[in-house]
Amino acid sequence: MKKAVVSGIGVISAAGKDLPETLDTFAQGKRNAGPVSLFPTLLTYPVFEVRDIPPQWHKEGMRTLSLALCAVAQALGDAGLPDDLSSLKVGVCLGTTVASQLNDLEFYRSFRNSGQAPMGAVDRFLRGNLAQAAAHTFKAEGPALTVVNACSSGADAIGISLSWLKQGICDLAIAGGADELNHVPLCGFGSLGIVSESLCAPFDRNRSGLNLGEGAGVLIIEAEDICRQRGKAPLAYLAGYGIAADAYHLTAPHPEGKGLEAAVRQAMASANITPDDVSFVNAHGTATPDNDKVEGTVLARIFGPDVKVLSTKGYTGHTLGAAGGLEAAFTVAALREGWIPASIGFVHQDTEIPLAPVAVKTPIEKGYGVSTSLAFGGNNTALIFSAAGCSVRSSSFRKCRDTA
Amino acid sequence: MNIAGIGTICTRGRGIESFAHALQQGWKAPQFISLQSLPDKSFPVYPLNQESLMDKAVLGKMRRADRFSRMAALAAWDAVQDSGMALDGEHTMGIIVASAFGPHTTTFRFLDDILDYGEANVSPTAFSHSVHNTAASYIASLLDIRGPTITVSQFAFPFHQAILLAQAWLDEKRCDYVLVGSADESGRVMEYICSQKLRIADDGQIQPFHFSAAPKAVPGEGSVFFLMTSREDGRKYGELSEVALSSHRNEEEDKPDICILEADGMAGDETGYRDAVVPGAFAAGYSPLFGSMLTGSGFQCAAAALMLKEQIRYACPVQDNPGRVNICTVTETAEIHSIHCIRYHCGQKKAVIKLRR
Repeated sequence: MKKAVVSGIGVISAAGKDLPETLDTFAQGKRNAGPVSLFPTLLTYPVFEVRDIPPQWHKEGMRTLSLALCAVAQALGDAGLPDDLSSLKVGVCLGTTVASQLNDLEFYRSFRNSGQAPMGAVDRFLRGNLAQAAAHTFKAEGPALTVVNACSSGADAIGISLSWLKQGICDLAIAGGADELNHVPLCGFGSLGIVSESLCAPFDRNRSGLNLGEGAGVLIIEAEDICRQRGKAPLAYLAGYGIAADAYHLTAPHPEGKGLEAAVRQAMASANITPDDVSFVNAHGTATPDNDKVEGTVLARIFGPDVKVLSTKGYTGHTLGAAGGLEAAFTVAALREGWIPASIGFVHQDTEIPLAPVAVKTPIEKGYGVSTSLAFGGNNTALIFSAAGCSVRSSSFRKCRDTA
Repeated sequence: MNIAGIGTICTRGRGIESFAHALQQGWKAPQFISLQSLPDKSFPVYPLNQESLMDKAVLGKMRRADRFSRMAALAAWDAVQDSGMALDGEHTMGIIVASAFGPHTTTFRFLDDILDYGEANVSPTAFSHSVHNTAASYIASLLDIRGPTITVSQFAFPFHQAILLAQAWLDEKRCDYVLVGSADESGRVMEYICSQKLRIADDGQIQPFHFSAAPKAVPGEGSVFFLMTSREDGRKYGELSEVALSSHRNEEEDKPDICILEADGMAGDETGYRDAVVPGAFAAGYSPLFGSMLTGSGFQCAAAALMLKEQIRYACPVQDNPGRVNICTVTETAEIHSIHCIRYHCGQKKAVIKLRR
């Protein structure tokens, strides 16, 4: 079985335009939230907007694609890969929610009023399919798949790339997720009563809902031998992927978290590790009452109440289809850096959640990091990364030496 | 990857028996509707018959589901029923739903809410159903499937990419079975978009063998699901042996008995199909039965699977053949070992799904 490594990281969110800026934001505990400025709205929820998309990646009217291309370009650069990938067997797997919907309000208003509408919005929608557009831009000629698994889309895209590599469908994959802040989810999540009027507080007793955000998180995943042959040292290993459905409810997680537990245990089994091998969990942690209660309970049940847990949504907001990609990137970065940031927003422990996230910047052992994602539709996903420099069991990955 | 069961729902009815009947019956004229933007013309479409979506026994658990989810759930349910497999929780099953446009009519209903009632007074039900993976969620609940569940949305080869992932899941033993399929719906906004972006066949006939640089379409809608497995006891319809996402023909590849040309006017220039027919093979094309869809490949594969199971070569529903390729002109029994389903996207990119007896 081929071993998959992470060789490049690209991130853009309200926390930073790239990884160094993001890590600085994390270290300082900054929260770059504010009112919506991207479109007119009467809704006053605080949101996490990206302030500056580099002009070379700005695509008029295609904000999600702009964010995605920016992150892909960063990741390719980090991996030491060219912008033209036509000589390699490269797959592209990107998750999103907003970019998959033809939801242009002005287009639709015009159609409603007159039965006709200009086709510009349709053209942008057709050109803006993430995987297709990224594959076209960077001349990747392997499989191209746009995952629309709601809030686990980015994580599932990375998991799918692992399946592709294992099966030899490609040698290298561009994988992650992207989403823009958009009118439809802002109104939609508001209608569900799960958006907070204040800054979000994942796992806190007084949490009152999520803040929406936007961004993109992309990893370059490649077969280890290919990576080393081209002289690149891996950043980390992508050691395991688990995915399981609740088969329970459209918008609420299973109250006992059965799907999430199955996904995490499946990911650990595929990585050939036990809960004791895990250094920390980068939780989905949306700050909604239901999500955090279920997720915290499941993580405590699997890893024990003292496991180091954090949510980075206090820095980025909930970036929907991008979240799994961004948080996978943050997990890899934490393994590289040897620390996880404070789970910003958390102050008071909830007695209904049998664990507390880290409240300050915390050192970690360079073992295994888990990133979890829960999605509308009852999908649950877990990714497991391990630090580069680990020794490896013959069947899979060996428990890492503590190189911290 | 063996095909253990198939479920279909399209303009010709629900269930694989209905689809087989449509293949036997041949072409039927589409409905002609009027569009506000085209007051002087009638516009052909192949819509689902509303009665096909009525099944209280199956849909009782999903009363709030929208049309898109109902369509997909019924096709998925029927694929499992067709296989005869008992859902006893003994085997791990995954779900992959592929779509080009997803539940867009529900998205527009949600936009209606914003426009009519204001941002703070929208329907949470409409919002939750506008999320693309809702259909997969309903399928999981309906069939109590707790394995991996993925929804994909794209315009180039969505069904092919889904099949490729299903194969990977089975090969890495992530699942024992994968319920993989496609769904796309029509609707007034999409019909308007089609009227603006596509050349529409005013006579209602898709012409798969004209190999035109400016082909004509008749928009359709529907869903098709396949229950796939590596298990030998799940070979009811033969085997889906390969998905080739390449524009180059492999001269060493196995020679098919039939090449199904998926030309349906959706993806521009269809001149490439002329050279896609493998010498010595029959050519066929069944899009005139169910209409033009970016996810139409699922229906073409269903036709191929039926031919392999029944050992019947179905006549092409529309046989206008100016290029004089060797098309199937009559429905007759035949020895069929291998069928290739060939699709082009945007004139250049070609993908092939290969099925074997």
